[in-house]
Order: sequence, then C-alpha cells, then structure tokens
Amino acid sequence: MADTSTPNATSGSWALEARGLGKRYRRGWALRDCSFRIPAGRICGLVGPNGAGKSTLLGLATRQVQPTTGELRVFGVPVDDPAVMPTFAFLGQEKPLFKRFTVAETLRMGAELNPGWDAVAAERIVRSGNVPPHARVGTLSGGQRTRVAFALAFGKRPDLLLLDEPMSDLDPLARDEMSTLLMAEAVERGTTVVMSSHMLTELEDMCDYLLVVAEGRIRMAGDADALVPAHALVTGVTRDGALPPELDLHTVVETRLQGRQFQAMIRPKGPLPTDWETAEPSLEEVLLAHLRSPDAPSLYTQGARVEAEGTQAA
Amino acid sequence: MSTTVTEKPIEPEAGSRRGLLHGLPWLVVRQHRTALVCVLGLTLLCALWIVYERHELIQLLDARGWPEKDAGQPLENHRGYEYITSILGGLPLILAVFIGAPLIAGDQENGTAQLVTTQSVTRRQWLIAKLALAYTLALVSGLVLSALFTWWWKPYRSVFLSEWIDGVIFDNTGPVLPAFLLFLTAAGVTIGVLVRRVLPAMVVTFLFTAITTMFVWDEVRVRLGSTQMFTYPLDGELPDRFAESYEVDRWVGSADGTLYGWGTCAEATEKAQDACIREHGIVNSVIEYLDYSQMAAMQWTAAGLLLAGTALLTAITLWRVSRRPL
Repeated sequence: MADTSTPNATSGSWALEARGLGKRYRRGWALRDCSFRIPAGRICGLVGPNGAGKSTLLGLATRQVQPTTGELRVFGVPVDDPAVMPTFAFLGQEKPLFKRFTVAETLRMGAELNPGWDAVAAERIVRSGNVPPHARVGTLSGGQRTRVAFALAFGKRPDLLLLDEPMSDLDPLARDEMSTLLMAEAVERGTTVVMSSHMLTELEDMCDYLLVVAEGRIRMAGDADALVPAHALVTGVTRDGALPPELDLHTVVETRLQGRQFQAMIRPKGPLPTDWETAEPSLEEVLLAHLRSPDAPSLYTQGARVEAEGTQAA
Repeated sequence: MSTTVTEKPIEPEAGSRRGLLHGLPWLVVRQHRTALVCVLGLTLLCALWIVYERHELIQLLDARGWPEKDAGQPLENHRGYEYITSILGGLPLILAVFIGAPLIAGDQENGTAQLVTTQSVTRRQWLIAKLALAYTLALVSGLVLSALFTWWWKPYRSVFLSEWIDGVIFDNTGPVLPAFLLFLTAAGVTIGVLVRRVLPAMVVTFLFTAITTMFVWDEVRVRLGSTQMFTYPLDGELPDRFAESYEVDRWVGSADGTLYGWGTCAEATEKAQDACIREHGIVNSVIEYLDYSQMAAMQWTAAGLLLAGTALLTAITLWRVSRRPL
C-alpha cells in the first residue's frame, strides 16, 4: 500500500486534487484555501466536526456546489467539465430516491442516465439483500433503501465513490452489512472511496487515507499509516505548574495539565527528553486532538500536499 | 463475481427496452405520470364535451330556424356551457399550482434533484427535460381546447352570452389559451425554484395566478388594441355594424370636435339638460370602441406578451438553477 501514497506526477493518478479551493456562502467561508490530493484506489475518510465543511467539500466534488475560489480536479479533469460526471458516484446523507418508483424502475433510471451502466452488478447487490424488485422504494426498510442506493451508485461503475455519512441512519446489523458490501465492491473494482463520517472506529477499520477538516480548513491529509506514527502522546512533570520549554521544540497539537503532570499530543521534531513517558496514540486519539484544537498546525504526508498558492506551512 | 446465481436480469416494468422513451424523457414522464394522466384526461374529457355541446347547439339552432329566426339565449343557465367554461378557467390554475410549482421544488425538497444530477446528466439537461415536459403538457392541452372552443364559439358567437372581449371568450380561444397556460406554468416553476418548498410554492403560485387572472389581466386585455372613435348625431341610432364592437367609453361632442363626458349634461330636468346641451354646443354622440375585427390582432398581441413572459421566466429558472445549489 505504501507505494500508492505518492503516485507519479501525472495527475490522472490522483482521484481528487484541490488547489486553493474555497466556497463562500452568505454567512461566510464554509471552506477556505483547501489544497490537497487523494491518490487513486484508496479508501479515504473525511473527518471533521459538524459544520466543518465536509458536506461542502463533497458538494464541490459532485458539482452540486460551485467553488468561489480555486479549482478541483477529478482524475485530472476539472470538476466543471461535464466529462467528470460518469466517473464519480455520490451517496448523500439522506440517500434520496424516488419513493414511488419500484426497485426495478430505480435501477432502470440508473441504466437510462448512465452510459456505462453495469446492470449485473446493480442487480446482484439488490438481489443479495433480498430486496423485492417490484416493491416500491417508499415501502422498503432503511437498510433495504440504502442497499438500493448503493446498487445505484455501484451500477454506475464509478472510479470515485463519494459518500456523505453513509451509515449514519442504519442499525448495527445493516451498518455491518453495508460496510462489508462497500469494501468488497470497492476492492474488487479498485474504486477510490471518499467517505465522511462521525464514527471514528468505522474510519479506523475502513480507511487507509485521511482528510481532516475543521473550521473550513484542512487540518491533516495523508496516509493513515503515516499520520498516526508522526504523533506521540507524551506525559511528563510540569515546571512550576507550567509546560516545560522543551515542548516548544516540537509541534504541539494539544496539551493538558493535570496537577503536577502534563500530557501533550505532539509531532516530535527530534529526540524527546528521557524523563518523558512516550506512547504511540491511536488514530482516534490523534483525530480527537486535532478536532479539539483547530488552531494546531496542519499536517500533510508526502504527496498529499499540493505545491500551490494558498497552502499553509506544516 | 463469485456468486453463481443464475443472473437473469430483473425485468423492469413492462415494455422496458422497447418503449419509446429513453433517458431523461423516460425519467420525467415516469416521475410525473400521475399528473400527466390527470391533465391529459381532463383535457380529453373537456374536448369531448365541447364536441358534444356544439353538436347539441347546432341541433337546437336548426330546430329553432336560426339564423333566420331569433333563437333566444340557448346557453343561458346551460349547465354544460358553465362546466366547460369553468374547466377552461380553472386549467391555468391547475397547471400552475399542481404541475408548475412542484416541478422542480418537489425534487429540491426530496433531494431527488441531487440524485438525478449526480447520475451522468448535467443539471441543465435535467432542467430542460423537466421544463419540456411541463411546457408540452401546457401546450398540448391549450392547443386542443382552444381549437375546439374556437370552433364551437366562432360561427355561433351571436348566441353566446359573453362578448368577444370578455375573458371567458378572449382568453379561451385562438392563441391566447395555450400562451396563457405556458406563461402560468412557467410562473409556477419559477416560484417553485425560488421558494424551494412544495407547499409554500403552491400557495404563492395560487395567489399569483389568482391575482394575475382576476385583476391584472382584465386591465391588460382591453389595452391590447388601440381604440377607435365613431361620431354620430346626438338623436341618431348607432349603426348595426357596431353590434359586435366593445364600447370602451362614450362621449358627447360639439360641432368643433370638443368632447365632453357622457354625463356632462345629465341634469334633473329635461329643460336644464337642453340648456346645458345648447350652452356647450353639443350635437354629437361619440363612442370609443374596439371592433371585433381587432380581436385576432389583439389575441396575437396577448399571446406575444405571454410568450415573452414565459421566455423571461424560463431564463430566470435556468439561471437560478445553474448558479445555486439544488
């Protein structure tokens, strides 16, 4: 997997590539100065608190929202070019479907509107969930409806699948079933998946690439395998009730004082004092630390950063 | 692909691959098929009814020896005529409120706008397919009913209760009915796109349609043609050729052409009236009128205005939908 993190300079190997991307609504910037790259073939988690700009980012990638600044490319093609439409599929939070259509009609819609429709795959997904093809979508259970929405998305044979909190309204059983389905289909076809989620454990299980967004800016981007080891969770003794000055030699994400002790999430830039207790944090701990401190310096692993205008130093 | 289940494709609804419609046209027709069937059914019902009533009227007029003899008022308190004119009068409201307003707003509200425009079709393609459906429906319905109603009314207009300038005739014949239906459907769509919620959009469209058809259009209609003046002696009779003219205003005038309001010399006594007439030198009656021969030109002007309005509203809708998130 490690070699996929830095594809060659040809932009076709990047599923998504943003340069100085920004979107401003009447209330202010929802997303600002975003420059990042997501390599093709990865399962990328899009993490951030509510209102961080995740949905805006997915909206920009699916042409639902037009950027105020910057540009976004999907497999090297500018997103405002209609040629990108067949290359991606999108599954929104609400998973909207025509409620009066039958399942078969919903799949027919997929066939009518998409040039590269894969009827066999779509039908297999529906069939394996025992969804009756002549039932109206409005009469299906939440899990069944999600399955139909997945069938519609995979039937399109997308190279990039964008998911906005796909599992949020599913019961644990259906969630497990859909995750398995998603991973199986994505791996089989080499589909790049970008999914936003609140479920940190879900991300830990499924994603090998991460994009962390907070307050409309990118906080972290890169390989999950590289992002976590870049951090250390250190515990030490405070000096006169304050943080020790040695801490300033490293990039500090978050600190916490507890009596005579301090605990800090840092990105070490050199050897750490021996009297500090060092632990490798879990992905969840790293993510939470970053989400709690949106002012911490952002981190990009190699390749994830776009050398362009509007990027801030790590 | 590990499953070995016999992969017989799920057969969609009957006639799937052999159907006439494909792609977006199929989708919009399928989505709106109930509305389509209702409007087309109503149109057909009304069309057949017009044909039947016309036949009945001809028989009745023949029996009464029309046009040599006076046929009376065969359409007075005539239930069929009343129902048909109410359907024609209600059709713009039905199309605007039940077809136009929810056309895009419904998809925005349910998220299906997002569903369709993240398939491999652009927003503009989708919008054009949607508008094409609504406009075709308005146009077909309008053309059929207008043609039939004109065919009923025109040869027998002298026994109809309403004047040609009245809304029930002017708006339901010739090119006006289709243009009116198009305009109000477009208004409903535009309101829906701006409001983005079905129910509020329907309410606003209802109010807009009611105000337009009941107040605004009555004022516009009589101003579509330029009025003409006809002067005749004060004690004379208006010639017969004005039987079908619509009298906009009436004046009295002196020999030098000065006009006075009709009531200028409406005095309590005949003596006072005569004195007033002498004092102002009034010798003529003058009518300001719109002639029946102007009707066709006025109807085309009306249709032109309404179509220009339709084009403007369509442009607003396209501009709005392509710029704002759905």
